Amino acid sequence: MKSSGRAPFLALSVFAALLAACHKTPAPNQGLAVPSGHVQGWTGATANFAPNGPAGEWPSQARDYANTRYSPLTQITPANVARLRTAWSFSDGAQYGHEGAPIVVGDTMYLVTPFPNIAYALDLTKPGAPIKWSFSPNPSPIAIGKACCDAVLRGWAVADGKLIYNLLDDHTVAVDIKTGKQVWRTKMDNPENGTTMTMAATVFGDKVYVGNSGGELGTRGWLAALDVATGKELWRAYGSGPDTDVKIGPDFKPYYDWMKGKDLGAASWPSDMWKHGGASSWGWVSFDPQLNLIYYGTSNPSPRVPAQRPGLNLWTAAMFARDATTGMAKWAFQFTPHDQWDYDGVNENILIDIPFQGRMHKALVQFNRNGFAYTIDRQTGQVLVAQPFGNLNWATGVDMKTGQPIVNPAMQPKPGIKLVNACPTDLGVKDWQPAAFSPRTGLLYAPTLNVCMDLTDHVQSYIAGTPYDGMEMTRHPGPGGNWGAFIAWDPVHGRKVWSIPENFMLFSGALATASDLVFYGTVDGWFRAVDARTGKVLWSQKLGSGIISQPITYTGPDGRQYVAVYSGVGGATSVESKQAGFPAHGNTLYVFSIDGAGPGAAAGMLATVTAAGKAGG
Amino acid sequence: MRARDLRVGLATAALFALAACGQPAGRRAAPAAVGMTANRLPVGDLAGDVQSPALLSVQNPFAGQPDAIAQGKVLFVKMNCAGCHGYDLAGNMGPNLADRYWRYGGTPGAVYQSIARGRPQGMPSWGRALPPADIWRLVAYIQSYGGMTPAAQYQAGEQGDLAGAPPSAPGEAKGVGTGQAAGKSRMQSDAAQSAAP
Repeated sequence: MKSSGRAPFLALSVFAALLAACHKTPAPNQGLAVPSGHVQGWTGATANFAPNGPAGEWPSQARDYANTRYSPLTQITPANVARLRTAWSFSDGAQYGHEGAPIVVGDTMYLVTPFPNIAYALDLTKPGAPIKWSFSPNPSPIAIGKACCDAVLRGWAVADGKLIYNLLDDHTVAVDIKTGKQVWRTKMDNPENGTTMTMAATVFGDKVYVGNSGGELGTRGWLAALDVATGKELWRAYGSGPDTDVKIGPDFKPYYDWMKGKDLGAASWPSDMWKHGGASSWGWVSFDPQLNLIYYGTSNPSPRVPAQRPGLNLWTAAMFARDATTGMAKWAFQFTPHDQWDYDGVNENILIDIPFQGRMHKALVQFNRNGFAYTIDRQTGQVLVAQPFGNLNWATGVDMKTGQPIVNPAMQPKPGIKLVNACPTDLGVKDWQPAAFSPRTGLLYAPTLNVCMDLTDHVQSYIAGTPYDGMEMTRHPGPGGNWGAFIAWDPVHGRKVWSIPENFMLFSGALATASDLVFYGTVDGWFRAVDARTGKVLWSQKLGSGIISQPITYTGPDGRQYVAVYSGVGGATSVESKQAGFPAHGNTLYVFSIDGAGPGAAAGMLATVTAAGKAGG
Repeated sequence: MRARDLRVGLATAALFALAACGQPAGRRAAPAAVGMTANRLPVGDLAGDVQSPALLSVQNPFAGQPDAIAQGKVLFVKMNCAGCHGYDLAGNMGPNLADRYWRYGGTPGAVYQSIARGRPQGMPSWGRALPPADIWRLVAYIQSYGGMTPAAQYQAGEQGDLAGAPPSAPGEAKGVGTGQAAGKSRMQSDAAQSAAP
């Protein structure tokens, strides 16, 4: 891991050569300065991979606290990846979109379906990975009709001998991973009011962090910490309202002056509209164990019609850094002040350390819905880099003095007047589907959207349990005609390194491995492996349904490296369902290995009769 | 106006009177021991609510009236219906209302009931918030998209067997990319439904 003196020069040379060879990429930055002693990737960016669990496990949705989705496994390489075949598969029967990542701890894989949120433990030591146990929590079906974007679940957690996850009907539940029996269940909110829970419960230490969904239904957003052992709620921080509710105290030090003041979460709204103001937290939480800070974002404001809510509408479309223990806010940053296009701030914050202006910064990167990729100092909240990572026209840039976007006045919607070709749509240039980071290249790998909208706002009234929304939209692809693109991004210089256009919106997560492979899936059902350095597609396999989940990799009990991904379209991609070739729903987990070898392939009559001794091998 | 109000009143009264008729004997007879009465309970031949056929075959007094349809459209946006069912009624969070697949029946009476009483997968009950005339206006607006079941075909509609029904024009080709215009089968409608949950 240590660098030699030549390495920076070599890395830069390779970088430049590759860029020169690739027609689509911009010229390399001639001024790229990589400090000595820090040369892992081309950009010099690296990460803390705590908790540094066993290399073969995939113990949490993002694999590590920093949310890198990077695996150190190296058996599957650019040279042999074309031999990936299905080793086994598993159908769970649930018909809504499958967005989560399998968790592998020890010899067991843990899965949870979208509504009705049934959990499965699969025994990886046996042929075909049979079900060890399943658990049916029976959530209320009322929640189905309160979920804005399909009755999905974006993930689950394993910690302290429990599988912990959210139910669509606003409960968090913990299940004993040995017995499959419920340990605790905590009611967090009421679906009748338009609140659901779709985010992945996330565990750091002895706390599980959960938040709510419902920014389209006039919910009031929050993030809460529960005790992993008992499910008891320890604290809850609201996304709007007075400082006490938002857990803002004397330690709160936003970097920019315009976010300083008393009770701005209420004062930046007309009268008491903050009470139904959105700011829900349905995305990802990351954690810096050294700073003891958690990082997460907040949703769009409600109603989505901006004319009804003049003001900054804090703390919507923003992110918080909070003390992981007490929940008190350390700093905040609002990406899209007075959001007018539904640009939530909930996307994953990937914690990386980067060389910038001559010294290393503890930073984070968020590919925001609004189309700017922000590299932010995670200790102070200062924006270091903010550059577009796809097509947008609602702003012309970010003012680096204030961190605020420079809004294009022509792209501001007004009630009853059709606004033509505003980019991006309500789904952003990237939605919740998480990017990955590789320290070997220093690049981030992001699934992106290239979609614009014609938008007509309709003034809305708050009616509990109904959409507090008001955006009438038709959506069409942006320049190039491709609805999506998979990109490699340099977070230090704020530039795209390569890009793979895709016909459909890209709504799967990304996975990066130490053998310089990156995996992602498409809405029309292709699962791909890509060379992390060149962006060359090395392998593609068509699966049963579209892929809007998150691929993972793990080592089986047999010592083989596997790659796994759920196929089951749904979620927000249904807005594209009229496009030719849009697949039907599905619910199958596919597990791949080199030549399809492994316990699944060896099972069955053939193995029993001719090679019983090898069954399961 | 008075004549219309009278018609609305009659249609609505008929709905509720019939709904009461259809209810099992709660208030009318003292409950006997369960084991005694169970064998004698009448059983219908269709799945769904215990209700009179007349409830399903009741006509919408506003059906086809342009002013009522326009008022229904305004209500559809104002009461936040469009946020779930789409500004084009093609469905989004809530089911498609422009196709011919209906979870709870597609006759005017059945759709009235869905709006007034709510449904278990998140459809709120609007019977208290909206007067019957407004609910009928909403039904008229939905009817104007052509996917609803004619009252006269309530029986076929209850069984999901509308193969003999004339294909409705507007809103028919919504849903999954394959979208044939006319003659879409129930199965195809079903698929379209689930693609827009």
